[in-house]
Amino acid sequence: MKKFPRRSRLLSLVAITIATGLALTGCNIHIESKPDPTIPQDTLLLAADQGSPMYQRNFNPFMANRRIGAAYIYEPLVIVNDVNGDVTPWLAQKVSQPDASTVMFTLRDGVKWSDGKPLTAKDVEFTFNMLKTSPTLDLQGIWQYISTVETGTEEGNQTVTVHLKSADVPAANIIAQTLIVPEHVWKDVKDPGTFTDDNPVGTGPFELGNYSPQQYTMNRNETYWQKDKVTVKHLILPATNGQLAMVTQGYDWGYMYMSDVEKTWGGANKYNRFWFPPGGVISLQPNLTKAPFNNPDVRQGIALALDRKQIADAATEGSMQPATQAGILLPNQQADLDPSIPNGGVITQDVEAAKAAFARAGYHEQDGKLVDASGTQLSFSLLTANGYTDWLRAASQVQRQLSALGIDVKLTQPQPPAYQLALRNGDFDIAMGAYGGLGSQYQDLNGLLNSSNFRPVGQEAPSNFERYQNPAVDEILAKYRTSLDPNETRELGYQLQHAMITDLPVISLYYGGSWGLYSENKYVGWPDADHPYASLKTYTPTALLIFTSLTPRDQTEDKK
Amino acid sequence: MTYALRKLGMLLLTLWAAVTLNFFLPRLMPGSPADAAIAKLSQNGPVSAATRAAIEAQLGVPGGNLLEQYVHYLQQVVTLDFGVSFTFYPEKVSDLVLTALPYTVVLVGIVTVLAFVIGTLIGVLAAWKRGTWMDTLPTLGGSFLSAFPYFWIALLLLFFAGYVGHLFPTSGASSPTAVPEFSLSFIGDLIYHAALPALTILITSLGGWILGMRNAMINTLGDDYVTFAEANGLRGRTVALKYAARNAILPNLTGFGLALGGVVGGSILVEQVYGYPGIGYLLYNAVVNQDYPLMQALFLMITVSVLIANFLVDILYGVLDPRTRR
Amino acid sequence: MTSTTTPVRARALRGALRTVGRIASTIWSNPRARIGVVLLAIFILAATFAPWLAPYGASQDGFERSAGGSAAHWLGTTAAGEDVLSQIIWGARVSVFVGFAAGAIATVIAVLIGLSWGYSRGFGGEVVGFIVNLFLVIPGLPLMIVIASYLQNGGIAMIIAVIVVTGWAWGARVLRSQTQTLRSRDFVTAARFAGDSSFRIIFREILPNMTSLITGAFFGAATAAILAEAGLEFLGLGDPTTVSWGTMLFWAQNSNALLTGQWLLLFAPGLCIALLATSLTLINFGVDGISNPRLREGKGR
Repeated sequence: MKKFPRRSRLLSLVAITIATGLALTGCNIHIESKPDPTIPQDTLLLAADQGSPMYQRNFNPFMANRRIGAAYIYEPLVIVNDVNGDVTPWLAQKVSQPDASTVMFTLRDGVKWSDGKPLTAKDVEFTFNMLKTSPTLDLQGIWQYISTVETGTEEGNQTVTVHLKSADVPAANIIAQTLIVPEHVWKDVKDPGTFTDDNPVGTGPFELGNYSPQQYTMNRNETYWQKDKVTVKHLILPATNGQLAMVTQGYDWGYMYMSDVEKTWGGANKYNRFWFPPGGVISLQPNLTKAPFNNPDVRQGIALALDRKQIADAATEGSMQPATQAGILLPNQQADLDPSIPNGGVITQDVEAAKAAFARAGYHEQDGKLVDASGTQLSFSLLTANGYTDWLRAASQVQRQLSALGIDVKLTQPQPPAYQLALRNGDFDIAMGAYGGLGSQYQDLNGLLNSSNFRPVGQEAPSNFERYQNPAVDEILAKYRTSLDPNETRELGYQLQHAMITDLPVISLYYGGSWGLYSENKYVGWPDADHPYASLKTYTPTALLIFTSLTPRDQTEDKK
Repeated sequence: MTYALRKLGMLLLTLWAAVTLNFFLPRLMPGSPADAAIAKLSQNGPVSAATRAAIEAQLGVPGGNLLEQYVHYLQQVVTLDFGVSFTFYPEKVSDLVLTALPYTVVLVGIVTVLAFVIGTLIGVLAAWKRGTWMDTLPTLGGSFLSAFPYFWIALLLLFFAGYVGHLFPTSGASSPTAVPEFSLSFIGDLIYHAALPALTILITSLGGWILGMRNAMINTLGDDYVTFAEANGLRGRTVALKYAARNAILPNLTGFGLALGGVVGGSILVEQVYGYPGIGYLLYNAVVNQDYPLMQALFLMITVSVLIANFLVDILYGVLDPRTRR
Repeated sequence: MTSTTTPVRARALRGALRTVGRIASTIWSNPRARIGVVLLAIFILAATFAPWLAPYGASQDGFERSAGGSAAHWLGTTAAGEDVLSQIIWGARVSVFVGFAAGAIATVIAVLIGLSWGYSRGFGGEVVGFIVNLFLVIPGLPLMIVIASYLQNGGIAMIIAVIVVTGWAWGARVLRSQTQTLRSRDFVTAARFAGDSSFRIIFREILPNMTSLITGAFFGAATAAILAEAGLEFLGLGDPTTVSWGTMLFWAQNSNALLTGQWLLLFAPGLCIALLATSLTLINFGVDGISNPRLREGKGR
């Protein structure tokens, strides 16, 4: 029967589909930001919190699952700028350390809880003690340092004195960043470990407004102790905000990676800005208990063989720079860097030097392969987590660059939980890993290098996954803990930087970004490269530094 | 009677085996719930050793040996109390499931029924008008559309109808400010939000029903009794609907039973793309975060609904085709 | 011995060839199936001759990032600076291979289990039925995710394994029903009375009568495998360093190709997946006609 007409109809169907496809692809779709006109000028739309896909009502600031808004409600004693480590006194107007094992916080006067009651030293003491009795909430681990807490007064100001278990100067900042909760509300809570704090009472610049599982609003705390510095009146935090929503729906602030950011985020609105300062160092972490990675010459060889610029470009699509080997983040911590270190400590690719280093370790080239004396090729598996795509791209580059020298690299990419497990148990040859970014050189490197965190392979290590043990470095870290002299700690910091460069416990590759996106449409005064007073993270107390710095943009020029 | 009893025994046995598998499968995954939580946190920046320890304590690595956990789990299954979720700690699993269930059952349930009804009707028509464009267009179009990965359809629909066209909302099951109530405006809001996910499921599942019904129908149309009915002068439409379609729909109905059973588990990717707060999204969260309690509850629910659908189909087979009872 | 068996074997071989030929000609006689065959052939040719057809290597990078279509890169480049057209051509290999390999393995398992299950009565059948039901009731995609994260080291083999494990049960169930029907036919009863072993009855008497059903099951399983592979890789559960249509979608979504205007990157792999899957569905139109002459084209009422 009617064979041909039917077939031609079918063919035309296929042809139409393909033609539509081509036509659609030909035209370019320009994405524009369409801010919701019902959102007033004094209100910020934040891509800060993420439901999955709806919110659970939980404002307990000590829980990993808390609503991010809790960070704008509860405040710490001091705020540490995670970019360069600068400390801003907050609920404490002064922090003093009479000796290396005592910290005294002098509380600010006139701070009120949002229910009208004043903040007292008892609240601070209560908060510390509650974290002792509910250790699951002690996310910063302050009770590994604290021995006892007492309250008192000094020159008419209330004080809280914390006695440490041992001399530990850097611990003061960790303890001081604890968010303080009101005793008169929390003392009646039966189990703070499962308390969801539905109606939070805090000292911070914002109070919880309307809450629904899909979005909540926050309103300015009209009794805030720095009310004159906070000009933003309302916040809106929707539960779902992917990259597409961020770009199209007129958000004012978000923290997320954005591909081709200048074109996508920058192109959507003329007031859209971004700032991606380094937020951590992505590195190769060799398993130092395994041969041949326990041989510094092998690590040297690998470090010299890599073209970090190419790796950084591939991993971050050109957004981030090669990282220094000195164990700090540049330019954030430029002030901490030993000026005598050439090139800021960034290792540049030098294939000849790499071959020489491998030769010192007993490797030579044979038929395009790098082999040891017995003729076995240098080969290892490189562990990375499935779904961390920037790491994966970096790992592929490492694989490609090392194979050019005759090294056989296999990528293993288990799911993130399995990756974590392998890392902690030391079940890897070389792993991709991140370190740094806490703002404090001591804290960053103590976790990475201190042999007290060393565990044999097979036992779960708390940090120091590369399993580094060096008595000399331990001694530097110990001195750092007891020193109250800034000149001495700077000198000790230099020594740590040299240890990182000569010993190569981990091989730094490139900086992981701190992906801040913001809009100057309504407010100006955001942190940027020239004003690095905070990172643009939405979920840390540094957000308070930003809220107290924003001012409305002068809109008069718009009307012209 | 013994047939039904034997089937019931099989049902209980399969249920037990599935429940047991549901217990062991998640535990095959390397890493603990705490590892999953830390992995998620560490994407934002390095996680300190203390935070790691506190999170482990918060989530708790499941206590006791595997056998004790298993016995405890069986108790939970019997009492339907699955404890506290890891991912949404300290939220209770039962609360989470009960919140999400209505969305999925209504969205996917209604769309499945719709797809079945529309697909079957088109299938009847296609078979009846065989060889004309009314046959070619739906069968070819249907099989072409059902060949697309449905997450892909979802992405494109979301992009064009949601972000570029601003025709439909881009996420959620209702407007953020809508108050849940039994009113026309709220129901309208729900439908408005469900439109894109529903369309995605409809587009990708319609083809299967059309083809199944068309083929079954063509088969019955050739049967003697249909020819006989036609020869007796019955009108074409009567023959098509009363005789052929009624018989041809049987195999499609059994498929429909299974599809209804699969409603709960079949919506993962669509709900994920549209940020729709149903069971599929919950399940995806549970699996990637190694949330054992939540995963177990959801797997159990899916298993039971599929099992019951299967059981009913089996019984139906027994009634319709006595030969299979032996 | 040999002189007597060889002609028998030759006859069997000729019989088999004739069956294949009959299937092929029936499929070819159906215009829809014919288009399916042509489409499939194009994809297979593209996959086979990828090294000659593709202008660049599959993961050769270093080109301009996220560029639109140009003379050098017809379909533009990815966010990592790779050529999209080359990736599409190379990617055909994975989809075609996974589709056929996973489809074939799942079908073989389904045939073995479905036939023995349908033929055996009593306890053995119940046990097999129990296992099949178990695989049918456990939700597929979550099961795939669990297995994929258990078999950590990604790669094509793992994807195939996951698809086979979760995909064989449905076919087994369908084949079992057909076997049950055939079991009571006269020629089977005759064979049983003639003293043939169950094995022989199943594979020499029943199996040949189900060729079309099995062929149909294979194409169905292959279609499902192609879609499942794309879904798994889109979720990032495969090895994202291999180039396939699924991983292309994964990377496109990852670098938000829709935002950067690179949306050919999302469109092209999806269209290819759909066309490949459609080609198999179209072929199945022809396969349906083998066992069931009523479904053949041009013989309608």
